Amino acid sequence: MDFDIQVKLAIYQHLAETTQAPSVEEVAERAGAAPADVREAYGRLARNRVLVLQPDGVSIRMAPPFSGVPTQHRVEVDGKEYFANCAWDALGVPAALHREGEVLSRCEQTFEPINFQVHASGPEPEPCVIHFAVPAALWWKDIVFT
Amino acid sequence: MLFFRSEERVDEWCQAQGLPRRPLVRLDQLWSLALAWYANRLSPAARRPQPDEMRAIFARVGLTGPFWDPQADVFS
Repeated sequence: MDFDIQVKLAIYQHLAETTQAPSVEEVAERAGAAPADVREAYGRLARNRVLVLQPDGVSIRMAPPFSGVPTQHRVEVDGKEYFANCAWDALGVPAALHREGEVLSRCEQTFEPINFQVHASGPEPEPCVIHFAVPAALWWKDIVFT
Repeated sequence: MLFFRSEERVDEWCQAQGLPRRPLVRLDQLWSLALAWYANRLSPAARRPQPDEMRAIFARVGLTGPFWDPQADVFS
Protein backbone atom coordinates (compact mmCIF):
# COMPACT_ATOMS: atom_id res chain seq x y z
CA MET A 1 0.00 0.00 0.00
CA ASP A 2 1.15 3.53 -0.76
CA PHE A 3 2.86 5.00 2.32
CA ASP A 4 0.73 8.15 2.38
CA ILE A 5 -2.43 6.04 2.33
CA GLN A 6 -0.99 3.96 5.17
CA VAL A 7 -0.40 7.14 7.18
CA LYS A 8 -3.84 8.50 6.36
CA LEU A 9 -5.50 5.24 7.45
CA ALA A 10 -3.51 5.19 10.69
CA ILE A 11 -4.71 8.73 11.43
CA TYR A 12 -8.33 7.88 10.70
CA GLN A 13 -8.20 4.62 12.64
CA HIS A 14 -6.83 6.48 15.66
CA LEU A 15 -9.50 9.16 15.38
CA ALA A 16 -12.29 6.61 14.97
CA GLU A 17 -11.11 4.61 17.98
CA THR A 18 -10.19 7.42 20.37
CA THR A 19 -12.04 10.53 19.02
CA GLN A 20 -8.73 12.40 19.37
CA ALA A 21 -6.24 13.44 16.70
CA PRO A 22 -3.08 11.35 17.04
CA SER A 23 0.45 12.62 17.51
CA VAL A 24 3.07 11.92 14.85
CA GLU A 25 4.55 9.31 17.16
CA GLU A 26 1.22 7.52 17.56
CA VAL A 27 0.72 7.45 13.81
CA ALA A 28 4.26 6.19 13.31
CA GLU A 29 3.64 3.35 15.74
CA ARG A 30 0.40 2.34 14.03
CA ALA A 31 1.95 2.54 10.59
CA GLY A 32 5.18 0.84 11.64
CA ALA A 33 7.16 3.77 10.28
CA ALA A 34 9.69 6.34 11.42
CA PRO A 35 8.26 9.60 12.81
CA ALA A 36 10.37 11.60 10.35
CA ASP A 37 8.76 9.75 7.42
CA VAL A 38 5.30 10.32 8.90
CA ARG A 39 6.02 14.06 9.22
CA GLU A 40 6.93 14.17 5.53
CA ALA A 41 3.74 12.29 4.66
CA TYR A 42 1.75 14.86 6.67
CA GLY A 43 3.08 17.57 4.39
CA ARG A 44 2.07 15.69 1.25
CA LEU A 45 -1.37 14.84 2.67
CA ALA A 46 -1.93 18.48 3.56
CA ARG A 47 -0.90 19.63 0.10
CA ASN A 48 -3.37 17.12 -1.35
CA ARG A 49 -6.09 18.51 0.94
CA VAL A 50 -6.51 15.25 2.82
CA LEU A 51 -5.47 16.87 6.12
CA VAL A 52 -5.40 20.37 7.51
CA LEU A 53 -2.47 20.91 9.86
CA GLN A 54 -1.88 23.48 12.55
CA PRO A 55 0.91 26.00 11.86
CA ASP A 56 3.38 23.71 13.65
CA GLY A 57 3.02 21.29 10.72
CA VAL A 58 2.56 18.24 12.94
CA SER A 59 -0.73 18.80 14.80
CA ILE A 60 -3.87 17.77 12.96
CA ARG A 61 -6.52 20.51 12.79
CA MET A 62 -8.81 18.59 10.44
CA ALA A 63 -9.00 15.08 9.09
CA PRO A 64 -12.44 15.59 7.59
CA PRO A 65 -15.06 14.91 8.81
CA PHE A 66 -13.22 14.78 12.14
CA SER A 67 -11.87 17.85 13.87
CA GLY A 68 -8.65 17.67 15.83
CA VAL A 69 -9.84 20.51 18.07
CA PRO A 70 -13.10 21.10 19.95
CA THR A 71 -15.90 22.73 17.93
CA GLN A 72 -19.59 23.51 18.39
CA HIS A 73 -20.43 20.42 16.32
CA ARG A 74 -20.34 17.31 18.52
CA VAL A 75 -21.38 13.85 17.43
CA GLU A 76 -22.05 10.95 19.79
CA VAL A 77 -21.52 7.49 18.36
CA ASP A 78 -21.41 4.31 20.45
CA GLY A 79 -20.90 6.34 23.63
CA LYS A 80 -17.97 8.30 22.18
CA GLU A 81 -18.04 12.03 21.48
CA TYR A 82 -16.39 13.26 18.31
CA PHE A 83 -15.88 16.82 17.13
CA ALA A 84 -16.74 17.70 13.53
CA ASN A 85 -15.55 20.65 11.48
CA CYS A 86 -18.92 21.96 10.31
CA ALA A 87 -22.56 21.00 9.83
CA TRP A 88 -21.71 18.88 6.79
CA ASP A 89 -18.99 17.04 8.69
CA ALA A 90 -21.31 16.53 11.67
CA LEU A 91 -23.34 14.26 9.40
CA GLY A 92 -20.10 12.98 7.90
CA VAL A 93 -19.00 11.40 11.19
CA PRO A 94 -21.79 8.77 11.36
CA ALA A 95 -21.50 8.39 7.56
CA ALA A 96 -17.76 7.67 7.80
CA LEU A 97 -18.11 5.35 10.78
CA HIS A 98 -21.16 3.57 9.31
CA ARG A 99 -22.83 3.89 12.69
CA GLU A 100 -25.91 5.57 14.05
CA GLY A 101 -25.32 8.60 16.22
CA GLU A 102 -26.57 11.88 17.61
CA VAL A 103 -25.54 15.29 16.34
CA LEU A 104 -25.31 17.90 19.09
CA SER A 105 -24.86 21.33 17.58
CA ARG A 106 -26.49 24.75 17.73
CA CYS A 107 -28.19 27.52 15.80
CA GLU A 108 -25.30 29.83 15.03
CA GLN A 109 -27.44 32.95 15.49
CA THR A 110 -29.24 32.14 18.76
CA PHE A 111 -26.95 29.39 20.11
CA GLU A 112 -30.02 27.29 20.92
CA PRO A 113 -29.27 23.58 20.67
CA ILE A 114 -29.92 21.75 17.43
CA ASN A 115 -29.74 18.08 18.29
CA PHE A 116 -30.96 15.13 16.27
CA GLN A 117 -30.46 11.43 15.79
CA VAL A 118 -28.82 10.06 12.67
CA HIS A 119 -29.90 6.57 11.66
CA ALA A 120 -28.56 4.34 8.90
CA SER A 121 -31.34 5.75 6.72
CA GLY A 122 -30.43 9.35 7.55
CA PRO A 123 -31.15 12.08 10.09
CA GLU A 124 -34.45 12.36 11.91
CA PRO A 125 -36.42 15.42 10.83
CA GLU A 126 -35.33 18.54 12.72
CA PRO A 127 -36.44 22.09 11.96
CA CYS A 128 -33.24 23.68 10.71
CA VAL A 129 -31.41 24.85 7.61
CA ILE A 130 -27.73 24.80 6.72
CA HIS A 131 -26.10 27.93 5.35
CA PHE A 132 -23.10 27.57 3.06
CA ALA A 133 -21.29 30.89 3.41
CA VAL A 134 -18.51 30.16 0.91
CA PRO A 135 -18.79 29.14 -2.77
CA ALA A 136 -17.28 25.74 -3.60
CA ALA A 137 -14.53 27.35 -5.67
CA LEU A 138 -13.25 29.22 -2.60
CA TRP A 139 -13.55 26.55 0.08
CA TRP A 140 -9.82 25.97 0.33
CA LYS A 141 -8.92 29.66 0.38
CA ASP A 142 -9.70 29.52 4.12
CA ILE A 143 -10.92 26.03 4.88
CA VAL A 144 -11.29 26.70 8.61
CA PHE A 145 -13.73 29.56 7.93
CA THR A 146 -15.48 27.50 5.26
CA MET B 1 -21.34 25.36 6.85
CA LEU B 2 -23.46 26.14 9.87
CA PHE B 3 -26.79 25.10 11.32
CA PHE B 4 -29.57 27.63 11.84
CA ARG B 5 -33.03 27.14 13.25
CA SER B 6 -34.69 28.98 10.34
CA GLU B 7 -34.11 31.16 7.29
CA GLU B 8 -34.84 34.22 9.43
CA ARG B 9 -32.00 33.33 11.79
CA VAL B 10 -29.70 32.98 8.75
CA ASP B 11 -30.67 36.46 7.57
CA GLU B 12 -29.99 37.92 11.03
CA TRP B 13 -26.61 36.19 11.22
CA CYS B 14 -25.53 37.30 7.75
CA GLN B 15 -26.51 40.88 8.55
CA ALA B 16 -24.64 40.80 11.86
CA GLN B 17 -21.55 39.30 10.21
CA GLY B 18 -21.68 41.61 7.21
CA LEU B 19 -21.76 38.59 4.93
CA PRO B 20 -23.94 37.98 1.89
CA ARG B 21 -26.76 35.50 2.21
CA ARG B 22 -25.73 32.34 0.37
CA PRO B 23 -27.65 29.17 -0.51
CA LEU B 24 -29.45 27.15 2.13
CA VAL B 25 -29.35 23.38 2.20
CA ARG B 26 -31.89 21.05 3.79
CA LEU B 27 -30.92 18.32 6.26
CA ASP B 28 -31.81 15.53 3.83
CA GLN B 29 -29.63 17.14 1.14
CA LEU B 30 -26.77 17.46 3.62
CA TRP B 31 -27.07 13.77 4.48
CA SER B 32 -26.71 12.88 0.79
CA LEU B 33 -23.60 15.06 0.60
CA ALA B 34 -22.19 13.49 3.76
CA LEU B 35 -22.63 9.99 2.34
CA ALA B 36 -21.09 10.96 -1.00
CA TRP B 37 -18.06 12.59 0.64
CA TYR B 38 -17.41 10.41 3.64
CA ALA B 39 -18.97 6.93 3.38
CA ASN B 40 -15.67 5.40 2.24
CA ARG B 41 -13.30 7.87 3.95
CA LEU B 42 -11.84 5.18 6.24
CA SER B 43 -11.08 2.78 3.39
CA PRO B 44 -7.78 2.55 1.49
CA ALA B 45 -9.54 3.38 -1.78
CA ALA B 46 -10.95 6.67 -0.52
CA ARG B 47 -10.08 9.83 -2.43
CA ARG B 48 -11.45 13.33 -2.65
CA PRO B 49 -14.00 13.84 -5.44
CA GLN B 50 -12.64 15.57 -8.52
CA PRO B 51 -14.35 18.75 -9.79
CA ASP B 52 -16.58 16.99 -12.31
CA GLU B 53 -17.56 14.45 -9.64
CA MET B 54 -18.30 17.26 -7.21
CA ARG B 55 -20.59 18.96 -9.71
CA ALA B 56 -22.39 15.65 -10.30
CA ILE B 57 -22.84 15.02 -6.57
CA PHE B 58 -24.24 18.49 -6.00
CA ALA B 59 -26.52 18.21 -9.03
CA ARG B 60 -27.91 14.90 -7.76
CA VAL B 61 -29.24 16.66 -4.66
CA GLY B 62 -30.49 19.67 -6.59
CA LEU B 63 -27.59 22.04 -5.97
CA THR B 64 -26.59 23.59 -9.28
CA GLY B 65 -25.10 26.82 -10.57
CA PRO B 66 -21.80 28.65 -10.12
CA PHE B 67 -21.96 28.59 -6.31
CA TRP B 68 -21.58 24.81 -6.39
CA ASP B 69 -18.99 24.70 -9.15
CA PRO B 70 -15.50 24.14 -7.67
CA GLN B 71 -13.96 25.66 -10.78
CA ALA B 72 -16.19 28.73 -11.06
CA ASP B 73 -14.22 31.95 -11.34
CA VAL B 74 -17.04 34.38 -10.66
CA PHE B 75 -16.42 34.65 -6.92
CA SER B 76 -12.68 35.24 -6.73
